[in-house]
Amino acid sequence: MSEFYVTIIHRPEMVPEYIQKEAEQGKKEDLARSTVLKESLDIFRTQQQVAHENGLRTTIQMTYASLFNAQAVAIAKEHHERYGDEIGSTFLGIQCKEFREKFKSKELAIWLFSMEDKKKIVDEVLGKFYVAFGFYPAATGSYYMDAELVNYIKEKYPMIKVAVATCWEEGPKAYWNANNSWYTLLDGGPWNPWIPSKRNIHCPASDESDDIGIVAIPHISRDLMAVFDGPGSYYGTHPQNILRGMVYEDHEIPYFKNLVDQYRSMVKYNRGYAYNMMYVGPGWMSNNGRWEADYDTLLKSYKDGMAYYGQLKKEGKAKDVTMSEFADIFRKDRPYTRPECTLWKDILYGSKRQQFWYADPWMRFCLDMNQGGAMIDLRPYAAKLERPCGVGTKAMQDASYPFLVQSLYRAGYFTHYAGEGAVKSCKVSHAGEEVDLCTCRTLASFSEQDDTRIVTLEPITIEFAESTIRVQSIFRITEGTGEIEIIRKIIAATDPDADITIDEYITACHGTTEYPEDLTGVRLTLAGPATAESIDYAYSCREAQMDNIQLVEACVPQVDTRLTMRADTNGAVGYFREGFAFSPMYTIGIKKVVREKGELRTWLKVEKAN
Amino acid sequence: MAQGRKGKLNYRCPRCLMREIDMDMLYDRDNDEYYCLRCSFTGHEQEVLRLNAQFREKYLDRTRRITDF
Repeated sequence: MSEFYVTIIHRPEMVPEYIQKEAEQGKKEDLARSTVLKESLDIFRTQQQVAHENGLRTTIQMTYASLFNAQAVAIAKEHHERYGDEIGSTFLGIQCKEFREKFKSKELAIWLFSMEDKKKIVDEVLGKFYVAFGFYPAATGSYYMDAELVNYIKEKYPMIKVAVATCWEEGPKAYWNANNSWYTLLDGGPWNPWIPSKRNIHCPASDESDDIGIVAIPHISRDLMAVFDGPGSYYGTHPQNILRGMVYEDHEIPYFKNLVDQYRSMVKYNRGYAYNMMYVGPGWMSNNGRWEADYDTLLKSYKDGMAYYGQLKKEGKAKDVTMSEFADIFRKDRPYTRPECTLWKDILYGSKRQQFWYADPWMRFCLDMNQGGAMIDLRPYAAKLERPCGVGTKAMQDASYPFLVQSLYRAGYFTHYAGEGAVKSCKVSHAGEEVDLCTCRTLASFSEQDDTRIVTLEPITIEFAESTIRVQSIFRITEGTGEIEIIRKIIAATDPDADITIDEYITACHGTTEYPEDLTGVRLTLAGPATAESIDYAYSCREAQMDNIQLVEACVPQVDTRLTMRADTNGAVGYFREGFAFSPMYTIGIKKVVREKGELRTWLKVEKAN
Repeated sequence: MAQGRKGKLNYRCPRCLMREIDMDMLYDRDNDEYYCLRCSFTGHEQEVLRLNAQFREKYLDRTRRITDF
């Protein structure tokens, strides 16, 4: 039995930034401008009506500003009674006359206040909510909810069990997309709901003691391929996003349905469960139009989107749930160690490209079948980095979870003729020729064997001058191990006696942005049966290798991570390679000489260093 | 020259859009044209629409309903 859950969230934002900016054209700021308040409320009503007409229940996330508006409160109460909508709270939309007077701040992002202010705002917002409704909400959220903020909320308001907690891959790309003025630097989290760690909201909790106490939901269900290489605000289940990305023609948006259907297909990878959410405020649906689209187009896009969810519900293919209902359902069947998997396929650019996304309490990674299954993103969740953000913290606005590999920010396979980029791949060589699997496009399939998830790539052909070989890659991840088993097998060779070297490697670094971080202090180690050899990174281009390798290791204190590789054979050679300032990377690898039918089996593990 | 104003729709600069930067343009009423504060683009509405259509071309599947997953 499989189930596709849909959560529709509306927030009555009384002073949405787009409408407010338009109203301010040529005028002074006025947060209490009646035309803005009226238009916002009208849009909220319309959005609620469209959902209800399609038989969908919503979660109404009351903004702080809306708690001062008797009509907004009355609508929420009425719709709760009449339609079964949930009344929740949000930390978006805090700015209003009352907030400005009380907190003397124009800050709009809850995660960017000082911890002291976060606490005061939480108490004020939820206190005001209690006065308006006579109970505390079970659902809350923002574009980002840092772990420190959620820990405080859980301590004081334990009834809260679910939150919109991050925007998937809104980091430097979103910042750049918004003319470097939108400070949602939030890369590195899961793309689908998860139970977060107490130490870092991006990381799925390892166990009950690490459980922060809420179910986290990402803001918008996003295109996992397009958003990894483009703005998050172009490609997601928010009609405005798609209009902003201009993925439409003649006012029709088949892409929305394609996106929803691809999310529906995730039941294949996640034990029969799939999820989708739409979360909108009123700002994008103003009478003046938005993103080159007039009001009629905006309204049509929303109606079409809701109609599709409604149709799926009527056909028994979707179940609409409120946020807290979803949290209960999710917790009922979600062991901490269970991963979230998705073999995503391109639905935008007309290619057959596939990427495999994986997240569990140890790591998040992405394999790109366009690059022979190369790992193009790796986040060490096992480190559970405590990384507070906001005023008074070291990270400040940078709330992203650090990567070890991010091939778009740090080059990947292709560099401009010098140095190396961050990627995990494999090189195959014979008689002086070498081919990186990054250059071998292929496709993959997904399967399961007990608690092991398996990604099997279609074999690729490599033509050397003297011999042609067929190579197959298989990735196996056994639940609860924090390891990826990688098999590279020579399944055929025109010359069965040809010596072929398989070189499994990872070139990595660390950071949260495109810009390099200091690698000084990273320790690279080779460990054999009797000896070990280490260096401390100093940009000195040093290299070493060891026969009969047992373990190669990169210990990265900057992100409290220990990255290791081991092989299944004594006949393998391990090596490390230090970079230099124009190539700020480190490489660890294991290689072995095989012949036809031979294989190299290695395990990549991510652990907390301390 | 006249003061730049907001146009009838919030047209973004089509050249900046090509590099995925959302940059709202200003409208020059006297010359009936839009212009960008960042990249120096200047053009009439028809030119903006032409370039927007060009921007969409990268989405080969933008009109295709895909159901095979």
